Amino acid sequence: MKPPLIRRRDAIQSLMGGSILLPGLLAELLAGDAPADPLSPKPGHFPGKAKRVIFIFSNGGVSHMDTFDFKPKLFAADGKTTGVGGGLSNQQRVLLKPGWEFKPGGKCGALVSDLFPHIRECMDDICLVRSMKSDDNEHYNATLGIHTGSFFFSRPGIGAWVSYGLGTVNQNLPSFIVLAPQMPYAGLQIFNNDFLPAYHQGVRVIPGREPIANLERRTKENKVQEMELGLAGAFNRRHLESRAGDAELAARMKTFETAFHMQTEAREVFDLSKETDETLELYGMKRGQSDGFGWQCLIGRRMAERGVRFVELVDGSSSHNWDQHGDMAEHAKHAKNIDQPISGLLRDLKQRGMLDETLVVWTTEFGRTPGVDGTKGRGHHSACFSSWMAGGGVKGGLTYGGTDELGATVAENKVHVHDFHATILHLLGLDHTRLTYRHGGRDYRLTDVHGNVVKALLT
Amino acid sequence: MTFFSENGFAFRCLRPRPGIEWLRYAGGFSGMWLAMVVLAGLIMESNLPAADAVFFRGFNLNGTALEIDGRLWEGNGTSNLSFKGGTFENQAVLLKPPTDPARASMIRSSIWGGNADLTLNHIPEGSYQVFLYVWEDNHSEKIDLLVNDRPVLEGFHSGNAGMWKKLGPWKCESHNGKIKVSARSGAANLSGVEIWSGTGPVPQASSPEFSSNPSPDQVAFFESKIRPLFIENCYSCHSAKAEKIKGGLLLDSRKGLVKGGDTGPSITPGDPEASLLIEAVRHKSEDMAMPPKKKLPPEQIAALEEWVRMGAPDPRTDDTVAVVTAKNAIDWNQARQWWSIKPLALPERPAVKQAKWPVNELDYFILDRLEKAGIRPAPDAEKRKLLRRATYDLTGLPPTPSEVEAFLSDKSRKAFARVVDRLLASPRYGERWGRYWLDVARYADTAGDNSDFPIPQMHRYRDWVISAFNRDMPYDEFLKAQLAGDLLPASNEQDRHEKIIATGYIAAARRFGSRVDDYPQHLTIEDTIDNFGRAFLGLTINCARCHDHKFDPITTQDYYALYGIFNSTRYPWAGIELEKKQRDLVPLGKPGEIAVFEQEKSDAQKGLDAEVKRIEKELKAVEAVEGEAKKDLEKNLTNAKEAAHKNAVRQPPYDMAYAVSEGSKRQDAQVQHKGDPSKPGPEVRRRFLTVLGGTELPAEDHSSGRLRLVDWILDRNNPLPARVMVNRIWLHHFGRGLVATPNDFGKQGKPPTHPELLDWLASRFIREGWSVKKMHRLIMLSHTYRLSGEKSSEMSLHDPNNELLGAFPRRRLDAEAIRDSLLFLGGSLDETPGGAHPFPAQEEWKFTQHNPFKAVYESNKRSIYLMTQRIQRHPYLAIFDGADPSVSTAFRSASTTPLQALYLLNDSLVHEQARGLAVRLLKEKKEDSRLQLAYSLVFSRPADRDEIVQGRSFLNALRAGFQESGVTDDKIEMDVWQAFARVLFRLNEFVYLD
Repeated sequence: MKPPLIRRRDAIQSLMGGSILLPGLLAELLAGDAPADPLSPKPGHFPGKAKRVIFIFSNGGVSHMDTFDFKPKLFAADGKTTGVGGGLSNQQRVLLKPGWEFKPGGKCGALVSDLFPHIRECMDDICLVRSMKSDDNEHYNATLGIHTGSFFFSRPGIGAWVSYGLGTVNQNLPSFIVLAPQMPYAGLQIFNNDFLPAYHQGVRVIPGREPIANLERRTKENKVQEMELGLAGAFNRRHLESRAGDAELAARMKTFETAFHMQTEAREVFDLSKETDETLELYGMKRGQSDGFGWQCLIGRRMAERGVRFVELVDGSSSHNWDQHGDMAEHAKHAKNIDQPISGLLRDLKQRGMLDETLVVWTTEFGRTPGVDGTKGRGHHSACFSSWMAGGGVKGGLTYGGTDELGATVAENKVHVHDFHATILHLLGLDHTRLTYRHGGRDYRLTDVHGNVVKALLT
Repeated sequence: MTFFSENGFAFRCLRPRPGIEWLRYAGGFSGMWLAMVVLAGLIMESNLPAADAVFFRGFNLNGTALEIDGRLWEGNGTSNLSFKGGTFENQAVLLKPPTDPARASMIRSSIWGGNADLTLNHIPEGSYQVFLYVWEDNHSEKIDLLVNDRPVLEGFHSGNAGMWKKLGPWKCESHNGKIKVSARSGAANLSGVEIWSGTGPVPQASSPEFSSNPSPDQVAFFESKIRPLFIENCYSCHSAKAEKIKGGLLLDSRKGLVKGGDTGPSITPGDPEASLLIEAVRHKSEDMAMPPKKKLPPEQIAALEEWVRMGAPDPRTDDTVAVVTAKNAIDWNQARQWWSIKPLALPERPAVKQAKWPVNELDYFILDRLEKAGIRPAPDAEKRKLLRRATYDLTGLPPTPSEVEAFLSDKSRKAFARVVDRLLASPRYGERWGRYWLDVARYADTAGDNSDFPIPQMHRYRDWVISAFNRDMPYDEFLKAQLAGDLLPASNEQDRHEKIIATGYIAAARRFGSRVDDYPQHLTIEDTIDNFGRAFLGLTINCARCHDHKFDPITTQDYYALYGIFNSTRYPWAGIELEKKQRDLVPLGKPGEIAVFEQEKSDAQKGLDAEVKRIEKELKAVEAVEGEAKKDLEKNLTNAKEAAHKNAVRQPPYDMAYAVSEGSKRQDAQVQHKGDPSKPGPEVRRRFLTVLGGTELPAEDHSSGRLRLVDWILDRNNPLPARVMVNRIWLHHFGRGLVATPNDFGKQGKPPTHPELLDWLASRFIREGWSVKKMHRLIMLSHTYRLSGEKSSEMSLHDPNNELLGAFPRRRLDAEAIRDSLLFLGGSLDETPGGAHPFPAQEEWKFTQHNPFKAVYESNKRSIYLMTQRIQRHPYLAIFDGADPSVSTAFRSASTTPLQALYLLNDSLVHEQARGLAVRLLKEKKEDSRLQLAYSLVFSRPADRDEIVQGRSFLNALRAGFQESGVTDDKIEMDVWQAFARVLFRLNEFVYLD
C-alpha cells in the first residue's frame, strides 16, 4: 500500500492553524464592532455581595409548622378546636399536631424540628423567613409564581432574569443550569427565558451518561470532530471575508468553539473523582455515586465554583414530593433525602470561602394547613409558609417575620413572593425595578409592579 | 296553589270565589262569559293595593339575640329556626364595607357549608319576602341560593375576605308553616335572615344625609380641624393636583367626598363605624391604612370621627371631580389622528431620478427614500442566490439542482415570474406561510392548563390554515371564518364543516388551572381578546382589562364591551385535572347522524350510570361486613365505573371539531373592577372599540355578537386589518416589517419606516380582493426584492440598519426551515401532509398537575406538523427559537447559542441526515462530481477551485486517519463523506440566506 500523499498530522495542522477557529481576523471583528456577547459578565446596578445563586426548590408544599415554624398551640391541639384545613385550605377542620419536636440550633438558638437535624446545626448561617406569602393554592400556579413572579402567565424564570442581568463568568457553561432529575409542576415554563433572549434559558441537567443534551461527542474519534470543525472554520472564514464585517456570522462561529470546549469542560463538572472522601461524606455520598440529592448539591457547588450564575436544584417532582394530604409522616423521608446534603453544601461552601459570595436559597411553593386534611394529612396553604436564605450577604442567625398562633396567617413582617424576589435581586446588586425588558410595548420585570426589598434581611 | 313568573312576582291562581261558584251552579253559561268573569277576577286580584311589607322576624345565625336597625333579632336556641350545616364565627375579620357593631357582629357569626339548609319554623300562612345576609371570611366561593327549593340566585361570588352582602328580597310563601333557605355548591357563610310579611316594597332604611347647610360652628370645625388635616396628609394622593390620583378618591371637594373612590363611598354621614375613611385612618386593615406610612395622632382621628358624626359638613363648592374627569377623558378626535387609525391614504407614487430603476409601483417608494438619503441601491442578486432566496421564502426548502438549472436556462424576462408562480402553486407554500399565521395565533396541540391536556382535534385548524393559504383564501374571508365561521352561510356540507373548524382560532385560547367549578374563564377570555387584538388589529386591547390603556385610546369599557361577546360564546372543554374528558366540541356530522349517535350514547350512559348507582347502593348495605361479597362488589363497582367512563368518552363515527359555538346565555358583561371577577361593576353594552366607531350590537340581535364583530372589524373605515396584514407579508419577505412591531400599531409600537408605501400596499391589498398571493407577486417581482446583499459604504454611513432596503437583508433560517432542509437533503423528508397526532385515547387520560401530559413524537414530516405543547417545549424548537405557544409571536428571534452548535455537533438527526446525504453523493462515481453535487444540493451553486482543493485534502486526511485506526476500506468512503456532509451542515452559508 502506498503511503498517503499528505501526512495526516500536517493536514490537520494546516486546517486548524493553532486555535481551531479563531485567527486574527475574527478576533478583531469580535473585539470591534461585534455585538456584545450577551452572556459576557455585566455589572449590576450597584455592587452586590452575592455573585451567584444556588436555588433549592422543594416541590409539593413543605409544612412550615412541622419544620421551621414552632407553634406551641398546635402541639396543644385538643382534637376539637378547628382551624383552616382541608385540601385547599378552605374548610374548617380539627387542628393537627405537628409530628416532630423542635429544638434550638446554633448559637442563635433558632427552633427547627427534628425533620432537619443537620440543617438545624447551620442556623447561624441561615436567615429564616417565617412570614412568606403566596397568592395561589394550586401546585402549578404557586410553583410558577415562586419562579416567575406570575401565577398564571408565562414569564421568564428568576434564573433567566439573573442571567440577563449579570451574564456569566464562564463562557463554556450555560449561565443558568437546572439540576432536575424529574420535572416539577409547570414543567419547563419555570426555567424558561420566555421573552428574554434564548441564551438565558435554564439548561436542564439529568444525571446519567449525557447530563446535558447533545453533550456527548457522537463521532467516535475526537480527531475526526476536530478536523470537521477545522474545515468548517476555514470555509466559514472565506464566507465571512466576502460579507464584510457581519458580526453575527462571526459570533456564530464562536459558538462552535464554545460548544467544542463544553464537551470537555461541561463533562469535567460531573467528574467527581478528584473530590476528597471527606467532601463526599459531607454530602452523605458514596464514592462513585452519580445520583441522589447529595449528588445534586455537590454538582451545584462545582458549577458555582466554575462561574455558573444561577443553579437550581429541584427536590422531588410533580408526582413525588412533599404534598402530604394523606399522612404527614411521609414528610420524614423527603426531609431525610435533603437534610444532610443541604447542610453539606452550606459547610462545603463555607470551608472553601465561597459562602459569602454565594446566595443559597431554600423555598417551596406554599405551606400546609394547621387543620387536618383527611385524618392525618395537611392541605395546601398559601397564606403563610417558611423559606430561608444563607450566604451572599444575608444576615445569618436571624429569624424574620412570624405567623399567628396557629400558623394560619402572617402576623408580622409579611414577605410576599414578590418581596422575596426583590430581595434576592438586591443581594446580587440588581434593582428589581430597573431590571426590565421591553416586550409587547411594556417594560416587564420579575416583580411585575410589586415587591419591596426586605432590608432587615441584609447585612 | 301559587306560581311564580320569571321575575319572582307571585300571583295567586284562582281560588273558587262565591261569585264564580254561584255561576257554576247556575250552570250552562257560555265559556266566553265565564272567561270574562275569570279575567275580571284576575284583574281585581292584581289591583288590590299591595300591603306594605312589615318586619316579621330576624335571625342572627349562630349568634346571640340582638337589636339591629331598632328591631329585635332572634339568636341561638330559638325554636323558630332549625338548620343543617356547620357553625363558624370570626369576629376579628374586618368587614367591607364597614357597618354598625350589632350588624357586624351578626354578619361575622354564621352557618356554613356547601349543603346548608335553614328552616324557618312557625310561620303563619301567607306571602313573605326574605333577605339573606352572606359574608366571606376567606376565598371567594361560587354559591347557588334557593328559597323553598327554588333557585333564586345562581353563581353568586362571595368575594374576598371581609366582604358581605344583603341579598334579596325574595318573595315566597310559607309551606306548612315553614320557609326554607338553602345554599348549594360552594361553601357559603350564611349570617342572618330577615323575614318581612306582605308583598309590598320593603321600606328602605333611610340613607343618612350629608349635612347640606352647615352651621357656622360646623364650618369653623371643618376649617380648623378637617381641611388642614386633609391638605397635609391626604392631598398628595387624593386631590386634583396629585401626580397620580390613588384609589379614584378625591378629598379636595365636597363632590369628591360624597362620591367616594374605587372601593365605594368613603363616608356614611352620621356613622363613623360604617365609614371607610374612618376605618382607613384607624389603621385596622393592612390593605387600607391611611396615611400609608404613618398613623394620624389620636386627636386627629377623633376629630374626623366627630366630623362624620356631624354629617360631614363641608362648605367647599369647587367641582374637582369634574375637573379630574375632564382631564382624564380621552379626546377621541385627537385619538383618531394617530397614524395607524387615520384612514388609508392613496398616495401618488413619488418621482425618482433613476427613472429606469423601478420595475413596479412599489419600487418608486423605496427608491425615492434611497435617493433622498444619498444611497445607491445594491446591484441585482446573482440568479442562483435569487432562486434560493425565493424558494426558501415561499416554501421553506432549498431549490433542487434541476430547479436551479431550469431557472438558469430560462433567459426570458418572465423567468423569475414563472418561478414565483411555480412556488406559489406548490402545496409546500401553505406549510411555510401557514406557519407564520400559527405563530401569531399561538397555535399548540395542547390546552395549556396545569396538566396540559392534549387536543386531538386541534390539527384540523392547523390543516385548515395551511389549506387557506394554499388556495389563496381572501384575507377578509380568512378573518371572518376564524371569528364567526359557525355563523356564516356555507355553500355545502364540506364548506360548513371547514368554517366551523376555522373557529378553532378562538377555541385555541389558553386554558388555566385544574378546576371545573371555579374555572377562570375570565383568563381564557383575556387570552382571546389579547390575541385577536394583536393578530387582526395590532392593538394591545388586553391591557385595558384592569385599567384604561395607559398609552392607547382603549378604555376598560371597551375591553368589557368585547368581553361580553366572547363570554356569550361557548368554548369547547379540553379536559382538566378535575374533569378529565372533553365536552362541548362541535360535531361535524350530518344532522340526522348526530342525533342518532347522541341519543344512543346518552341512552347507554343512563343505563351504565344507573348500574353504578345500583352497585354503590348494594355496597352501602354491606358496608360493615368485610369479606368476599364486599370485595366482589368493589370489583364490580370499579368495572362499572370504567364502563360508564368509557362510554362517556366514546367517539362518534363522524369527526368532532375543537371549535366554538353560540353560548346558551348571550348577554352583555359587567366591568370587572381591576380585572377581578369578584368585583363586578356596571354592565357594558356589547360594541366595538370606541376609537374605531364604537358601534353597538343592535337591541334585537340576541346572538353572541361575533358576526357583527367581524363586520365592525372589516368596516371600510377601519384601516387596521389591511395595514396589519400587509405589514406581516412584507415582514416575512424582508425580515423586518415596515412597522417593526407587527403586533403593536399603538403608541408603544414603532411608526412605519415608509408610511406612504404601507398605505399604498394596504389599499392595493383591499382592491385586489385581499389576495395574499397577489401581494406576494407584487413584492417579489419588484426590483427591491431582487437586490443582492452588498451593502454600499453610503449605507453603512446613512442607514446602518438597512431600514431603507438599499440591499437585501441577510437572514438566518428559522427552526422549521433548518430542520426541514436537513431532512430534505438527507432524503428523509416525508412530504405527505400532517394529520392527527398519535395521542393516547381519551379513555386513558389521567393527567393531573402531578402527572401532566408530556410527549415528543418523532416524525420525518415537515416541522409544522410536529406536536407542540403549551407547557413543555419541543426540545429542537426550544433550541432554535421556535415560537412560544403561550404568546402571539409576530416574528422569530434569531439567537446564537452554544446549545445550537452542540446540536449540530452531536444530535442524532444531524448525523442521520448526513448519512442520507452521503448515500446520495456516493451515487456519483468521481470525487469531484461528488463534491460538486454536494455544493449543488446544499448551496445551490458549484464549488470553486479552492473549495475543491480543500475538500479533497480533508477527505484524504480523513481517509488516512481512518485507515490508520483500522476502519475497513468499504466503510471508509461512507465515513469520510458523512463527515464532509456534517461539515456543510454546520456552515454559516447553510443557515444564512443572502
